[in-house]
Amino acid sequence: MDPFLSFTEMRDKLRKWREDNCRNSEQIVDVGEELISDHGSKLGDDVWIIYEQVMIAALDCSRDDLAMTCLQELRKQFPDSHRVKRLSGMRLEALERYDEATKYYEAILQDDPTNTAARKRKISILKAQGKPAEAIRELNEYLEQFVGDQEAWHELSELYINEHDYGKAAFCLEELMMTNPHNHLYCEQYAEVKYTQGGLDNLELSRKYFAQALRLNNRNMRALFGLYMLAGRGTKENKCSVKAVEEMLESMQITMS
Amino acid sequence: MKMASSFWKGIVGVGLFALAHAAFSAAQHRSYMRLTEKENEMLPIDIVLQTLLSFVMTCYGIVHIAGEFREMDASSELKNRTFDTLRNHPSFYLFNHRGRVLFRTPEQEASSARNQQALPNPLRLRKLENFQ
Repeated sequence: MDPFLSFTEMRDKLRKWREDNCRNSEQIVDVGEELISDHGSKLGDDVWIIYEQVMIAALDCSRDDLAMTCLQELRKQFPDSHRVKRLSGMRLEALERYDEATKYYEAILQDDPTNTAARKRKISILKAQGKPAEAIRELNEYLEQFVGDQEAWHELSELYINEHDYGKAAFCLEELMMTNPHNHLYCEQYAEVKYTQGGLDNLELSRKYFAQALRLNNRNMRALFGLYMLAGRGTKENKCSVKAVEEMLESMQITMS
Repeated sequence: MKMASSFWKGIVGVGLFALAHAAFSAAQHRSYMRLTEKENEMLPIDIVLQTLLSFVMTCYGIVHIAGEFREMDASSELKNRTFDTLRNHPSFYLFNHRGRVLFRTPEQEASSARNQQALPNPLRLRKLENFQ
């Protein structure tokens, strides 16, 4: 990491990482710590969201001192905020004090029953304690109320995949595909889940969705590989030979470049 | 165009002012027509020209202030997105991963080692109990 990044470059890097959901915590801690200590005054109102970002990254890197500093600054500025209480809860979770963290979140929920962040943290605590079945049940209840939460649908699909319940994982991914029809990654993940499930119908469906993913983004390597794996399989009536796949790829202009 | 955004803001301001001025002149012209009972006359050409030109100038200025253009095709924006970042759900982050131990500094290591030695080794005691 170039030690002489300018202030604007550091701030823009942090913003990009925040928007893209990157979890490169070591880098965030390096850049964020320098930004806060050296250029704190120049940041203006951005400083609070950077404190939050750096605090979560510090918990990942076991930098409890830095996390505590950020948390104290946020508490001073926003004394009664639910968002800051959630961050305190996250710090307790990182220290493995799950019961105290659960109490924190329940206090938030008593105050504000519609607070989604606290409910999601409670589900994460169940996941961290190794209770996947309960986490799945709670997440299902949450999604019955908040149907549009895409992050939660993706999280649920991941939980189901870990439990090898591919049918339900496929259902979650279908929900995601319905709301994001242009996203090639959801198509490709759905095709992979169907491929793992196995059985002729699922393989057929899988091939279709790999092709769809390639149509949306012709540089998706995993979808290309999935399509290649499926070429030559299928029923006797519509056996898709390798030659046919090659012709199709040519028509979609996917060359060897 | 890497000119200062204050220049473009100036352009938008001038354009809006000229637009307002043209609207005011047109209203004045209309009331003058009503007074002199010549209601069928067209607006003078300079007012029309001023309106059109200031409109174009405002639009051009706003385009430069508004920020980067995005592609129309929704799927092309996602071409560079990978599962590395798509799979991260910030609201569901867990902290019980090996990063908590991997990134520990030497002072933290020393203090945790000291704490460990203070406790008796529970496994060994349990094994001894079974034999007695």
